[in-house]
Amino acid sequence: MGEIAEVPTETGFDAIVTVHHGEIYRYLKRLTFRIGEAEDLSQETFFRAYRAWAALPPDANVRAWLFKIATNVFRNHARGERRRLIAHATVQAGSREADPVGPESAAVAGELQALTEATIQRLPVKQRMAFTLRKLHDLDYELIGQSLDCSAETARAHVFQALRKIRTSLDGHALPRTESTR
Amino acid sequence: MTSKSSVCAKIEPDLIATASGEAVRSAVQRVQAHLAQCATCRNDYEHYRAIETVVDDLRATLQPAESDEARRRLIARLSDLRSRLVHYRVAPSPLGPILIAMTEHGVSLVEYLGRGGAASSRLFRQAGVDAVEGGDELDRLHRELHEFINGRRTRLDWSLDLRSARSDFQRQVMEATVAVPYGAVASYAGIARELGRPAAVRAVAQALRHNPLPIVVPCHRIIGSTGQLVGYAGNRVALKERLLGVEGVPLNVRAASIERSAMYHYDPNPHREYCLPTCGGIVKRPLAQVRLFAHREQATAAGLTPCADCRPDLHPLPR
Repeated sequence: MGEIAEVPTETGFDAIVTVHHGEIYRYLKRLTFRIGEAEDLSQETFFRAYRAWAALPPDANVRAWLFKIATNVFRNHARGERRRLIAHATVQAGSREADPVGPESAAVAGELQALTEATIQRLPVKQRMAFTLRKLHDLDYELIGQSLDCSAETARAHVFQALRKIRTSLDGHALPRTESTR
Repeated sequence: MTSKSSVCAKIEPDLIATASGEAVRSAVQRVQAHLAQCATCRNDYEHYRAIETVVDDLRATLQPAESDEARRRLIARLSDLRSRLVHYRVAPSPLGPILIAMTEHGVSLVEYLGRGGAASSRLFRQAGVDAVEGGDELDRLHRELHEFINGRRTRLDWSLDLRSARSDFQRQVMEATVAVPYGAVASYAGIARELGRPAAVRAVAQALRHNPLPIVVPCHRIIGSTGQLVGYAGNRVALKERLLGVEGVPLNVRAASIERSAMYHYDPNPHREYCLPTCGGIVKRPLAQVRLFAHREQATAAGLTPCADCRPDLHPLPR
């Protein structure tokens, strides 16, 4: 009687941080533009998560829950930064050295990657989120829907729209040979 | 770019799904059949496949060192938040609405709320506290408290967070008060004496007046040297009366005092024996020197044995 065991204990939430921080950080990194922004937003995400954790049902999908919080944190942030984002949206891939330490920049090897990255950054925010969650974090559409507060079908439509836009941006560019191209 | 035929437009979702490896077998077959005869879509398909390759590269480009650094900084800041974070919940009770708050160290506040509700809680006047409503654990605590107030529970074995004590002395007073068991009564002077500071009677009363954990730290069991209940949670003596009544302590309601002559007495003695109030004039001893029990069982539970002279076990007080 009277044993207090279900308050946030160090092991419980520490385990969540250990398992999920990396991917939440990378998700936010991909959504943001400025150095340090992803770190601020992922901190905010885990602060919010910690505060809400005591009320989280034991059978909840922690991963989807964290992506949802991160998504909301980013949206709130983006609302305040909208003008800045619109300005950024017109910036072409070539000027992304503004964020020299980002994993994105390091990944930009060829023209195709540069174009794809630039297009991803110009996507409407929901499409960008859905695309990132699907393609880079392998969430299924059901969980993406939970994270974005929409149906699985809508989530799928967002991803398809994103792919269509990226493909259009590649029109007229030479493709590297891949196993599927003939 | 040429505009697509309606056939091409219709098959595009399947084409994208196929390129992404998400399509069902029948859709893949439809797409393959279409690609065999449509050069435009074949070109599109190759682009979609190329995008998948680019995405694979992006996914592979992780810099764990960078996020590891960020994680280390996050953990440092989280530990700061943890030390400030307090969960709370308000629930009705027979004594009016009560707020219980807890940190990761234990229960830090039990507060009778006035008309202002939760907003008037002292929780929101404490600097550096980050208060969040909710937490299942608090429901259980409220349930236990409710049982206690209704006399269906005699112990509240809660972990307590005494960090908000105003001083070491207040903490000592609270610890001494926690040791006064259910159904027993001690005096402010008795607590002062126990702490080795017999002159600090008023300081003890002040410390309990600001008790952040009423009921759990049972300051209602601590009374004045004349046997009068004196203060409780500001001017809520009626609550003190009620809590003592639930524990079976005999009261003279009109005089707002306990009925000392109807309680078992214990004056610290080497044999750890408790007595009837009639034993050797013990009822005349200052309250500071004795502890009183409403029931024999409570004295026994406190590790005491019946006095060999007055034999309270053979001649129990009438109830």
